[in-house]
Amino acid sequence: MTLFGATSLAQLTFSFLPQTIPRLMALVLFHTDKVRQSLKTPAALGVELFVLCAAAALIGTIVLTFQQWSRPYSQALVIDLSLWRLPKYTLMSLARGFAAYVISLAFTLIYGSIAAHHRRAEKVMVPLLDVFQAIPVLGFLPGLVLMLVNLFPHRQFGLELACILMIFTGQVWNMTFSYHASVRNIPSAMREVAAIQHFSAWQSFRWLELPASMIGLVWNSMMSMAGGWFFLTVNEAFTLGDHDYRLPGIGSYMSEAIYRGNHAAMYGAVAAMIVMIILVDQIVWRPIVVWSQRFKIEEQAGDDEARSWVLTLFHRSRLLARVGQWLRRNDKDSNAQLPAPVLHLRRHPQHWLRLLRLLGRLGRLSAMVLTGWLLIRGGWGLYKLLTALPLRQTAAGSAGWSTVLLALGASFLRTSTAVLLGAVWTLPVGIWIGRSRKWSQRFQPVIQVAASFPAPMLFPLAVLLLFWLKIPFTIGCIALMVLGTQWYILFNIVAGASAIPHDFTECADVYRMSRPQRWRRIYLPCVFPYLLTGLITAAGGAWNATIVSEYLQAGGHTLIAFGLGSIISKATAAGNFPLLAASVISMAAFVVLLNRFFWKRLYRLAEARYSLNA
Amino acid sequence: MVDTPIAEVKNVTVQFGNADARIILQDVDLKINSGEVVALLGPSGCGKSTLLRVMVGLIAPTRGQAFAHGRALVGIHPGVSIVFQQFGLFPWLTVQENVRMALNGLELDQRGAEERVKQCIDTVGLDGFEEAYPKELSGGMKQRVGIARALARGPELLCMDEPFSALDVFTAESLRSEVYRLWSGKPADNTHAALPSSLKSVMIITHLIEEAVFLADRIVVMGTRPGHIRQILHNDVPHPREYQSPAFLRMVQQLHDVITREQLPEMPVAPSAQPQTPGGLPMPEPLPHVTTGHIFGLMEVVKDHGGNMDIYSVDQLTEYDFGYTLSVVKAGEMLGFLDTPKNQVFLTELGRQLLDGDINQRKRMLRERLLTLGTFRFVRQLLLEARNQRLPVDVVEEELAIRLTAEDIEKMFETVVGWGRFAELLGYSDDDSELYLDPEAAAV
Repeated sequence: MTLFGATSLAQLTFSFLPQTIPRLMALVLFHTDKVRQSLKTPAALGVELFVLCAAAALIGTIVLTFQQWSRPYSQALVIDLSLWRLPKYTLMSLARGFAAYVISLAFTLIYGSIAAHHRRAEKVMVPLLDVFQAIPVLGFLPGLVLMLVNLFPHRQFGLELACILMIFTGQVWNMTFSYHASVRNIPSAMREVAAIQHFSAWQSFRWLELPASMIGLVWNSMMSMAGGWFFLTVNEAFTLGDHDYRLPGIGSYMSEAIYRGNHAAMYGAVAAMIVMIILVDQIVWRPIVVWSQRFKIEEQAGDDEARSWVLTLFHRSRLLARVGQWLRRNDKDSNAQLPAPVLHLRRHPQHWLRLLRLLGRLGRLSAMVLTGWLLIRGGWGLYKLLTALPLRQTAAGSAGWSTVLLALGASFLRTSTAVLLGAVWTLPVGIWIGRSRKWSQRFQPVIQVAASFPAPMLFPLAVLLLFWLKIPFTIGCIALMVLGTQWYILFNIVAGASAIPHDFTECADVYRMSRPQRWRRIYLPCVFPYLLTGLITAAGGAWNATIVSEYLQAGGHTLIAFGLGSIISKATAAGNFPLLAASVISMAAFVVLLNRFFWKRLYRLAEARYSLNA
Repeated sequence: MVDTPIAEVKNVTVQFGNADARIILQDVDLKINSGEVVALLGPSGCGKSTLLRVMVGLIAPTRGQAFAHGRALVGIHPGVSIVFQQFGLFPWLTVQENVRMALNGLELDQRGAEERVKQCIDTVGLDGFEEAYPKELSGGMKQRVGIARALARGPELLCMDEPFSALDVFTAESLRSEVYRLWSGKPADNTHAALPSSLKSVMIITHLIEEAVFLADRIVVMGTRPGHIRQILHNDVPHPREYQSPAFLRMVQQLHDVITREQLPEMPVAPSAQPQTPGGLPMPEPLPHVTTGHIFGLMEVVKDHGGNMDIYSVDQLTEYDFGYTLSVVKAGEMLGFLDTPKNQVFLTELGRQLLDGDINQRKRMLRERLLTLGTFRFVRQLLLEARNQRLPVDVVEEELAIRLTAEDIEKMFETVVGWGRFAELLGYSDDDSELYLDPEAAAV
């Protein structure tokens, strides 16, 4: 291809860039039909360049990531605060997020499929998922980091793995729930079609289950990625006492900038984070969302068709079209090229079945043995740890079960207050935004970015503000929790308010209802189920936030508010494992029980009474 | 060699859930022979869909056995395709891809597969829609895709599960006659139209009597509670069939009689002696699952037609299946507003009075009539003995379930609440899940 010869490339680039860039800008900023129409003449080379750049960036990031991971482990991490290093740090963080996402996706597909296809396994697996989703995973952070660093003492890999697993545990549960529910809700006619047409298990997955769950999966993937940044930044900036477990990334960059009081770097990090969130949304999720529209089971009238400028670009690329053709060709002819034994098995499925059944039985047996062993080992270890903790505080002042319970109460008060505070301001604002079509369209992207922005990055700044206002940290750390959790509530309320049927407001107009009446009789009941969903998510987030916000190192100070979160951090720093185990277990158990007996019941009430699709 | 049936079930019973769960099908025997069109006709809930799925191998029977060509069926019947009521198309695949999917596992090369797909799309008249997605198509077009897909596998037995029920009346009729032309071998104006040579028999499920008579050679009439085969009729209406021909109407009449005999046995209007349970409580009886609105509506219809109608003409006027119309008539009869000597529906004097009254008089009359029914006397007695004359729903449902073992108690309870509320006899609070006696009714 002479087109890519060096001279002609340079020529073309120069003659091209001046046109291409404004076009691209126009496409990004004013992505309307009109602009697209005017851009009909394809800026072909610009498009190909864009695609090539994207591919190069992808490969570069992967290489960078592997270099970083195989690096020898070093205690002293030096973070360079110069602003031009920031993109590299951001990319490293991004790579961690995506690595965790890949693991989450794999876990989701495997776990969800097993649960959907095996009735007996499902009875255990789904409640288990429920428990995992409720548990504040950050409680396990210190323990996990210590364990993995000990496991891989010489490589950075252990620390990286701890970080990625942490993000994974923050991402995975809602994805798995969504996938499992989608697979279970596949219309029975489609299932029967698959059976009648003799689909294999793989074919059912590939042609039925994956497409049927695509919409939910994509949506939850976006949510998960956004939620993952929270865990990412906490992890990257993790230090415990004198130990430095930080990783080079945007989280550690921010904490270093705050530590050094480097304002330029602080703002730079915040800006970089925002840019990353927007870019990931535009370049990764938007195209996928648009592409996934084809998997909608029903066409709903009035749906705004989602658009993506990146996908528009990709569609124009001939290069990508070629690659796609090539891939598809190889996919289609796969049947003919299969090796003889495989073909034989295809023609005589009974051999398959026998083999599969045998494998399945072996797998199930070993899984059972393994789980049993883990349960017994783990249970015994845990029992020993938990009984090692004294019931009451000892005379020497070291903590006992009574301290844990007291701390649990303190943290409970804090999280409840945080959630309530969040609801108090978001309820009127959210309803107002949601009621106005104009404002909800304007605010939607802002809220989306704000919700994805990891609050812990802002904690140190908030602490400075608290100092300045002279608010004691025991109370002030509630503000930190609000910072992280309010967005979930706002998001849901806006969604609920924009779903209030037009009939209701017309009815209110006709009967001349006063403003308070409208709120009491229409807005609040309509929004209630959404509000509840927001509160549940926020409460879960608040418990996670206790661990980062009750024990905070900022500006050379260590701030401690008495609560379960700070006890967990302190116990880890001091190597007090009985206390650590007791605190983590108490927190997990308490949150799970709270969900079961409070939130779930309230939710059922909301469903029964205030759901609009009765 | 004796021609063995393509598909057969012997002594099949199907139960869903555990041992004491509801029986869907009981002791059913059925053969589908080569070269016939068989219709399964019955009201909803008679297990006809379940029977089809047992024959195909989608559901394993609790007892009994399914056979394919005389051999016990393992897995899915190899020579069967299904057309579904709700189409069952994959929305993410185009028409062509949906049909193509059906060739999965068949040993066809690329070109053979493409030809087969094209031919089947031609047969159902979908040329030009190959690249369309199902959501772009109307219901009728969707079902055409469903039929094309079923034909593409080259089945010997084509099963159709209420294939026209999800369509509007006009579309259903046009598709129905097209299907009829297809398998009575008349290519109409479409010269491509041809069925795969492998196709030998068709089994079609329907709740419409006319549809069965129009399409089938053999009609299997099924009954409910639990699902069973009532009678099998040979349909010798000559081809080409026309709805208004005498032979057609005779066949329809014959089927009506078979169904009516089960649903409306000749019974005395008011039982002479009120039977009692051992505990001294009135004995509840099953209630048809219909609304008071439907009962009154049907009475109005009868009144508008001079107070006396043929039951089939009543059915002709409604969009419901015959079984449901019968249920409404039966309810009216239980309440004493209607009388049904033979196949006639009469408005009684009581019924006439009720229709003449205003809403409050209607309620009062209905209340009086309800209290002649064992079920309502039973429920009233239960409530009178309860504290505050209130009882949790579970308790009432359980009391009814003990005495009416064959009933779907939740539906029955719905009917009790619906009728009782309208008559201001009973009250029901969804918040507390409690049934209570209307204060007025307590005094009666």
